Amino acid sequence: MTEATQAALPERSWFQDKILLGLTGKEYLKSLLNPLDVVAALLVASCGAMFVWRFGWGLGATTNLSQSTPWGLWIGFDMMCGVALAAGGFTIGATVELFGLKQYAAIERPAILTGFLGYVLAVVGLIADLGRPWNMVFVMFSNGTASVLFEIAWCVMCYTSVLFLEFTVPAFEWLGWRRIHRVAKSALLALTVLSVVFSTMHQSALGSLFLMAPGKLHPLWYSPYIFFLFFNTAVIAGISMVVVESGLSHKAFHRQFEGQHVDADALTIGLGKAGAVAMFAYFFLKLQTIVDGHAWGLLATGWGAWWLVEVLGFVLLPSLLYAWGARHRSARVVRIAGAVAVAGIVLNRLNISVIAYNWNQPNHYVPRWSELLLSAGLVAVGVVAFRWIVNRMPVLKPHPAFPQAH
Amino acid sequence: MTHEFLAVYPAKLLEYSLAVGYLLCFVGFWKYVQGGRPAEARAEVHEPVRQGVSEWFTIPEGFYLHPGHSWARVSPDGLVTVGIDDFAHKLVGPARVELPRAGAPVAQGEPAFALRADTRAVDMLSPVDGTVVEVNRALSDDPEKLTDTYGAGWLFRVNPPRFAANAKQLLQGASARLWESAAGEALARRLSPELGQVLADGGTPVHGIAQELEPDRWDELARSFFLT
Repeated sequence: MTEATQAALPERSWFQDKILLGLTGKEYLKSLLNPLDVVAALLVASCGAMFVWRFGWGLGATTNLSQSTPWGLWIGFDMMCGVALAAGGFTIGATVELFGLKQYAAIERPAILTGFLGYVLAVVGLIADLGRPWNMVFVMFSNGTASVLFEIAWCVMCYTSVLFLEFTVPAFEWLGWRRIHRVAKSALLALTVLSVVFSTMHQSALGSLFLMAPGKLHPLWYSPYIFFLFFNTAVIAGISMVVVESGLSHKAFHRQFEGQHVDADALTIGLGKAGAVAMFAYFFLKLQTIVDGHAWGLLATGWGAWWLVEVLGFVLLPSLLYAWGARHRSARVVRIAGAVAVAGIVLNRLNISVIAYNWNQPNHYVPRWSELLLSAGLVAVGVVAFRWIVNRMPVLKPHPAFPQAH
Repeated sequence: MTHEFLAVYPAKLLEYSLAVGYLLCFVGFWKYVQGGRPAEARAEVHEPVRQGVSEWFTIPEGFYLHPGHSWARVSPDGLVTVGIDDFAHKLVGPARVELPRAGAPVAQGEPAFALRADTRAVDMLSPVDGTVVEVNRALSDDPEKLTDTYGAGWLFRVNPPRFAANAKQLLQGASARLWESAAGEALARRLSPELGQVLADGGTPVHGIAQELEPDRWDELARSFFLT
């Protein structure tokens, strides 16, 4: 656009420019009228309605949770899976800022944004489960230093704050606040160190929660080393989510990548190598838990078959797919491996916290439709928020006024 | 009668066997993941993108540069192609290349071939270790081919036993351009006005700068840049 035509156009307000992407209110609303946006809006609205219902009528009226099964889908999926799948923030942050692999800088911001949104939504899901959010502040002042939940609560609070601060770098670029942007950017290295510390602590502590329930969790999934398995799977989930998310972003936001000299396929293949090695090690760790728990005999049961589905189909298979894709430099195969690995992490977390938990109880918990709807609604909120931010802030592409900052 | 206290041994044996088995499998798995078509091979398919250095010398992407001004590039078949860079060619000018014979061993940082002009010759260093498997015969028929330093002017191909270790001593990408730029600046400082249209005028240096600069001792000047 030339200066002459720019001058001829009426001046746009800050709101119109930054929030409505330069459109008028009417044009913007019109642009949202498409099938995908309508489905997303319905999911988000039903999620809000579920919140009202749950807080108005209580857990007993709205969910299938009971005194014997106090943890359901909102803990098993929203919290356990959400936190693991949001681990890309610290995994890629450490890769770029601490290990110095600067070529991955192009995917650092989307990974941090995914992590931030993932944690916020995990906390929202947790609030739905816990209720009385105004009481949450007391966890900070309780003297429960011997409690695993105390560690998780503190670390998740601190890490969500760290992710928010890391995310302020592109946000300040978007707002054009140069001075505070410089401060936020110079703090990025320290924030990354904190993110690794907090993540290592609470990702493993989520597994430590199950150390208290050796009788409730099926012996094929229970291990005294479960905290280490949780940390290992969080790293795998972080890598795999970045592979999947960057693949989807390239499809959905391909316009933002025009003119950028980033070889996304090469980065994906590099992540594929890391994923292959991490999953290969994890596969042997899973076998070791069977040897350690003398649980070979249980493999011949129905639960054993289900365990084999998880370990062979969603650990060994994606590991080999990652390896094949990396060796033959096929980004497509690496992305497929990433999707299978993400499904595998979700399956693992659900197995531990929902499916194989209370396995010996006569009445097994099955989530109610309302629980599923709230969880699906939260995922939709995450997708909508990710798109809203990416369309405005310099997450996938550098800001023209801050070309070196990305 | 079986002894219960011995029951721990099979379980421990299995644990240790699994750990050792993992390590053994990991070696093969690691080699498998790291192997395959190297990234550089893809660069060879496309026309190399040349990056100007001080507007004088060019280095395409995907080439490894030795500080002695020779280059190496990995082919899809795992062999390494060797040549001289733009700087060496422009410094020496029209020259005949004395190539090693096929089957000869070459070692990184050791003289492997020479550039000959008039009666004098300047040795140049090999960028990699290995055995020469093919020599560019077309160069002896048509020395003009050397002008295309990164293409038809390749010199020989090597079977490298340890290219990964060799590559750590070579320059690539931004660091290669920086090195070439520094070499260009070092040369610019030695240029005299009688060389004609050069840097100050924004011109490109003539081929055979060394002979223009030091007609009697051009080979010594070249050696100082080629580290021989």
